Amino acid sequence: MDEHKNKVSSMPEEDNSKVGSSAVDAQENTQSNEVEAGKEGLRTDADPSKKTLTHTPSVVMKELADTAAQREPVPEARPATKLQLVSRSTQIKEASLATLFFVCAFLAVLGAGLIFAFVAWRAFPLLSDIGLWNFLTGTQWSVADNTFGALPFILGSFVVVGGSLVLGVPLAVLTAVFMSEVASPRANAIIRPAVELLAGVPSVVVGFFGVVVVVPIVSALVGGAGFGPLTAWIVLSIMIMPTITTLSEDALNSIPMGIREASYAMGATKWQTIWKVVIPAARIGIIDATILGMGRAIGETMAVLMVVGNAPQLFAGISAPISTMTSQIVLEMGYSSGEHRTALFGLAAILFLISMSLVLTVRLLAREQTKKTKKVKKGGGA
Amino acid sequence: MAANSGTVCCSSCEKEGSHRFSSIPKTLGPLRKLLVFAAMITVLLLSSFVLTGCTGRDIQGQIIVSGSTTLLPIAETAAQQFETTHPQYIVLVSGMGTSAGIEAVGVTGTADIGTSSRDLRGAELDLDLIEIPVAYDGIAVIVHPDNPVNNLTLAELRDVFSGNITNWQELDGPDMPIVLVNRDEASGTRSSFASAVMDDESFEVNSVVLPGTGQVREVVARTPEAIGYISVGFVEPRHVETYVQAISLDGVEPTDENIISEEYPISRALHFLVAGTPEGSALEYIEFVLSDEVQQGAVRDAGFLPITEADHTEFRRMLSEGNY
Amino acid sequence: MSTNMNKNKNTRSTNATGAGQRKTGMQVMKELKEQHRESGSGLGRAHLNNRIALGVLWGATIITIGLLAVILIYVAYHGLGVVLQDFPRFIFTWPEGVNAEGGIWPTIVATLYSTGLAMAISTPIAVLAAVYLAEYAKQGRIVKTIRFAADSLASVPSIVMGLFGLAFFVETLNIPLSMLAASLGLSLLMLPITMRATEEAIRAVPRYIRWGSYGMGATKWQTVSRVVLPTATPRIITGLILSLARAIGETAVVFLTMGIAINLPIIPTDSGRSMSVHLYLMAVEGINLPSAYGTAFLLLLIILVLNLSARYISKRYSRIDNA
Repeated sequence: MDEHKNKVSSMPEEDNSKVGSSAVDAQENTQSNEVEAGKEGLRTDADPSKKTLTHTPSVVMKELADTAAQREPVPEARPATKLQLVSRSTQIKEASLATLFFVCAFLAVLGAGLIFAFVAWRAFPLLSDIGLWNFLTGTQWSVADNTFGALPFILGSFVVVGGSLVLGVPLAVLTAVFMSEVASPRANAIIRPAVELLAGVPSVVVGFFGVVVVVPIVSALVGGAGFGPLTAWIVLSIMIMPTITTLSEDALNSIPMGIREASYAMGATKWQTIWKVVIPAARIGIIDATILGMGRAIGETMAVLMVVGNAPQLFAGISAPISTMTSQIVLEMGYSSGEHRTALFGLAAILFLISMSLVLTVRLLAREQTKKTKKVKKGGGA
Repeated sequence: MAANSGTVCCSSCEKEGSHRFSSIPKTLGPLRKLLVFAAMITVLLLSSFVLTGCTGRDIQGQIIVSGSTTLLPIAETAAQQFETTHPQYIVLVSGMGTSAGIEAVGVTGTADIGTSSRDLRGAELDLDLIEIPVAYDGIAVIVHPDNPVNNLTLAELRDVFSGNITNWQELDGPDMPIVLVNRDEASGTRSSFASAVMDDESFEVNSVVLPGTGQVREVVARTPEAIGYISVGFVEPRHVETYVQAISLDGVEPTDENIISEEYPISRALHFLVAGTPEGSALEYIEFVLSDEVQQGAVRDAGFLPITEADHTEFRRMLSEGNY
Repeated sequence: MSTNMNKNKNTRSTNATGAGQRKTGMQVMKELKEQHRESGSGLGRAHLNNRIALGVLWGATIITIGLLAVILIYVAYHGLGVVLQDFPRFIFTWPEGVNAEGGIWPTIVATLYSTGLAMAISTPIAVLAAVYLAEYAKQGRIVKTIRFAADSLASVPSIVMGLFGLAFFVETLNIPLSMLAASLGLSLLMLPITMRATEEAIRAVPRYIRWGSYGMGATKWQTVSRVVLPTATPRIITGLILSLARAIGETAVVFLTMGIAINLPIIPTDSGRSMSVHLYLMAVEGINLPSAYGTAFLLLLIILVLNLSARYISKRYSRIDNA
């Protein structure tokens, strides 16, 4: 509780350093008042003279100040400069609201924790029933025989994700480069909404599109039934491209104009500038985008389920059906029980761990980058 | 506090310098819009309730139907239609498997009607359940229309689906690899195919697993190397203009007659099971399921074959005499 | 070459914000470049590469846009006819029979019901949590933990979320497969999206507005509730709409927590089948494809409209902001 109170008083203080000179006087007013008020709940009373503050003519605020003045049960007449504590009830209200907000924020932590705890709890019997090693390295998955080896699905997921990254990342990054470096604002006014809309297309619709359009095409091109890794790569790259494009474009746009200009000044062509200067500078951002795209791909369910063929076997060629962790869960959850269900929760636990480690990687990368920029800044200053 | 703020706000609006921050009161608009938005959703939902009309039916009884997943679509669709013509009854349908259905109607008595997709066996025969055939099911093995192979023995079929035969050449067909199209393990079609054809062999894993009949048909229709299986009712095209070829097994074609006579190797009768001669609401429901409306509608739609005139006669005889 | 130059100009005007003096610099550079080229100092190859590379960029972008166009046009081409046939029969009637012929009304209701309920559950929590992160929390370990948790929550694959919904809400808390269970699952999905959008919206509120409020003696909550949140509302609504669009298209969570039987939900514990699940079942069953096309078209239409309205709101807001 103390923490929040301090926060209330320290907030304007922090901001103070960045204000223009006109605001400073006013800020100092509040600040000095607060200092006098000490560590209590502390607010200065509304003072008519302060209504003329140059930087705060907002109607709402005035009204706030007025109501605050009216509501506070202060019996005596108040000299204009004298400080007044906020009423006890207001203090309690503020503090309880702050606690409520904290609880809400904590729910997010709780949610993530609960999900992991529950999935892990339901997958736990796997250790004794099947054995972790057998589960991770077994290549046989058969409900009828009660054998559950998850290797085909783990590898299947990686095969599917890897291929879709190979297809999707270049396309996405090139599109991002086009949007950030080449396209006119008018072109971007079409491209950007299109990319965002593409991101909004639900995976089940993309999967449906895959079944009725991509599968027959692939079947005609490489033979077989058309269900398999190649189809999944195409469909999945459609799913992840918008994510990667948007994030890469952000990264490219954050590269300062100056280094491009320097490159042009050296006589570099547009492409040389992009390839040798802009893309290397935005490297970490693009890697970030790729990792997040990978996270999206590995968790993608419906689209993959509908086109991958769902055969629990190891990779056997681009047109031989395989299966992934996500699709297996959807396909079998409905009628599973006992050990089978435990094994499916085991798959979910693996998925959860993979997506968590991807988030962690992105965070570590971000930390690395801030370290680097700090160094650069220091170097530049000296 | 809110009411208070409104009045104060308005009075102070008239004072100096408010124009610069006019965006703040304006942006209160969207907040109101959010409320309107929420209200619209609520109204939409409420109106949907009204549209369905919770018309306060006068419920006189409920019929519990439980058992086979294969029969589920028929029992469910029939239940919906039955409730519209007989609003005084509620029909609860669940599909937990044939064995569970037999248990529910014969042992625990928690169901009025059990549904079964196989013959009674073992101790189930002692439960004195009456079997009423409601439809016939045959599973057709399908290949591409251009495939010259049009007959297989059961043993050959088993070898194909267990992966022992991998090329059409071994079946006197063209030299091309066999592409297996299988159903998912939750499928009733797959389990009846497995029990009729596969014996104890397991399915080859290198096969495309599809969760739906229509998809199996579609894939086989466009892939010359493919072989799959679907309910006979779906062999002829519906909604689509693609064709598949249903092959003979052991020389028996999957025609209606051969399936009803169970001469065709993968065929079976689907039954309703009741403990004792049905009466009251249960009888009305069963009669409805046996009527042409359901037999030519839901039964055919689900890919099954309707029951025969002989079955109808038998049913009437059973009602009057109390046994089959 | 002149078109090339034009493009250069355009790019700069998008990226360089208000760089008055830069332009003259750029002109000088362009002149220099021009001279360089005219002198023909072995740059031909570089120019060829440049041309090719720019062509590739164009190609990549056209493919991306083309994909969207193909999906939209394909679904609309097949779906529009289904929806318009005896309009609005497809929207307002029930599916009939084994193969769900007829309309899809109950699935539309189930979709709106569950996502509306999910929005009602997740929005207050997400907004208040964002208020905490943006206004109250001290930067430190707690905030880092919360943000990490929110990021993780956002990255949890939807199927895992569905599995959790099934295991926790349905099997542990004994909520039946229903609108309620589905919307609890969906709200977990929407929470991080709404939270992030709200936090960004709050942070985008200019600082001086807050100072003003504090300067007038407002308490923290007064400042937040009457100054910051109203100002941030349009952006928050944009975020809400986007997360709603996401939830409407979501299939895996709903598939495992709502049940799949067609039913018109009335109370929150009623089960039902959402549009996305209906589309999935129709697509994999593959018998009644027209209904699948119609459902896909309506689903895309709803999401498109939501996305466009989100864009419209954020655009209008930014205009107010600039003015």
